[in-house]
Amino acid sequence: MATVLYLDELSKKYGSLQAVDRLSLQVEAGSIYGLLGPNGSGKTTTLGMVLDVVRPSGGSFLWFGHSISRESKQRVGALLETPNFYPYLTAKRNLEVVADTKQADHKQINKMLDMVGLGTRSHTTFKGFSLGMKQRLALAAAMLNDPEVLVLDEPTNGLDPQGIAEVRDLIMRIAAQGKTIILASHLLDEVEKVCSHVAVLQAGKLKANGPVGNILSAHDQLIISAEELAPVLQLLERLPYIMQFAQEKDYIILTLDQGYSSTDLNRDMFAQGIVLSQLLVRRKSLEAQFLEITQKEA
Amino acid sequence: MNLLRTEFRKILPYRTFWVILGIYVLLLLLVLYVSRNVTISGQSLGNSLYEFPGLWGRFTYIAYFFNLLLGILVIVLVTDEYSFRTIRQQVIDGRSRAEVVLAKFYVVLGLSVFSTVFLLVLGLFFGLFFSSSKSFSAVLGQIDHLSYFFVQSVGYMALAMFFAFLIRKSGLAIIAFLAWSKIVEPILHLQLDDSIDKYMPMKVFSSLTPTPGQEIIDQLTTPTMALTPAWAVLPALGYIALLLLGAILLVRFKDL
Repeated sequence: MATVLYLDELSKKYGSLQAVDRLSLQVEAGSIYGLLGPNGSGKTTTLGMVLDVVRPSGGSFLWFGHSISRESKQRVGALLETPNFYPYLTAKRNLEVVADTKQADHKQINKMLDMVGLGTRSHTTFKGFSLGMKQRLALAAAMLNDPEVLVLDEPTNGLDPQGIAEVRDLIMRIAAQGKTIILASHLLDEVEKVCSHVAVLQAGKLKANGPVGNILSAHDQLIISAEELAPVLQLLERLPYIMQFAQEKDYIILTLDQGYSSTDLNRDMFAQGIVLSQLLVRRKSLEAQFLEITQKEA
Repeated sequence: MNLLRTEFRKILPYRTFWVILGIYVLLLLLVLYVSRNVTISGQSLGNSLYEFPGLWGRFTYIAYFFNLLLGILVIVLVTDEYSFRTIRQQVIDGRSRAEVVLAKFYVVLGLSVFSTVFLLVLGLFFGLFFSSSKSFSAVLGQIDHLSYFFVQSVGYMALAMFFAFLIRKSGLAIIAFLAWSKIVEPILHLQLDDSIDKYMPMKVFSSLTPTPGQEIIDQLTTPTMALTPAWAVLPALGYIALLLLGAILLVRFKDL
């Protein structure tokens, strides 16, 4: 698989503040890569550097194996932080300006406006748009010349639930076309729902990265209970794939090794003549996992 | 030229642009029309203001003061790109930083063409209406003042553009531009020897449209050391190149 974006020890210092600290990672073609981290963790600064608007203070990056150029920029559609348009121009005229800059076909404009559901609002000025519409217009602008890669910085920030659903749905539809998407977000659940890979940033440092399944939802918790807890506890001691278990009042909380599921547990219990009265899979809360990741190496 | 076409897309529907340009047109028209009522030592200027061929020197001298409005317009157009963050988006979308600055410089050139042509039209209108001599040679005799005026407009707006890219905020940039052109540099002129300060930017630009009748004043008092318009063209072009280069370097080496 081809590497779309490659970062090598990329750093940015603002005065004494190390906003991004020797960040190295690579994004493969076709993946949906999430940059996850709290506000101020360096996500936007990182994207700003690879998009050529923030000067790195150290390190380097490559797009498609080459340094950034007009050609590489035309293969990438991006929105950084906020939708950036002329407030007094209509949606359509704003996209005409973007199409000029990207040397894109002006015939695409109406098509893209339809795609993001703004076809009927093409003659409304940008300042008259709701935040969700602005965000969708920015997506239309980013998609204008059918780029291979989309870079999205907090695309659902500040939207109401319906707006979030609309934008997310749009991202999924775009991803289904086989495009590579790089998505910065501070919302764990967004990254988990949308992304295939994730890099966790904190205070400018890379804390963890890899496929979302490995990083975010490795070990599920199970809650079980039965008429008699004693035999259950005895059995749990002997089962090799139980990482840990603890009894709470009238139920038991346990964690399984990777690769095992509640099915395995239920089968083994039944084989020993134990009938569980309750078997509940509880995903560890994402927030808890996130804190675990960021505190591990802190 | 593609850059200029895109700039037109942004400017044409922009109300602020038309308001400032409208004020410029109306004020210039008004001042040129009423200045014949100005009385100097008991004598009304009258229609002598509109006599060819001296009209071109007088008109360009008066119009120079109104370039201030065009300078402010340029500052507004440049700082808008920062406050709308569209300058970022342009660079993200594939423009080089030099192109971003060049696009604005083309607007400066366009506005200079506009103000020069507007002044040509006004000169022909007032002159053909009021001037006593309307011969071909009288009308075109000193029309070269218009070309000096063009260089001056470009220079003045290039200075405004430089301040806009330097400061990025419209209010502060306008203040800095005014402070430099109206206060700081004039104070420096007082401190410095005439042989040096005649090469300073504002002095060079204003030398392109000298005070009408300067020759007569010079005979009565100590002559000014200012450059003649023809001699001021070269240093003015030099300043324009420097300001353009300075703006490009500013944008190239700062975060957007």
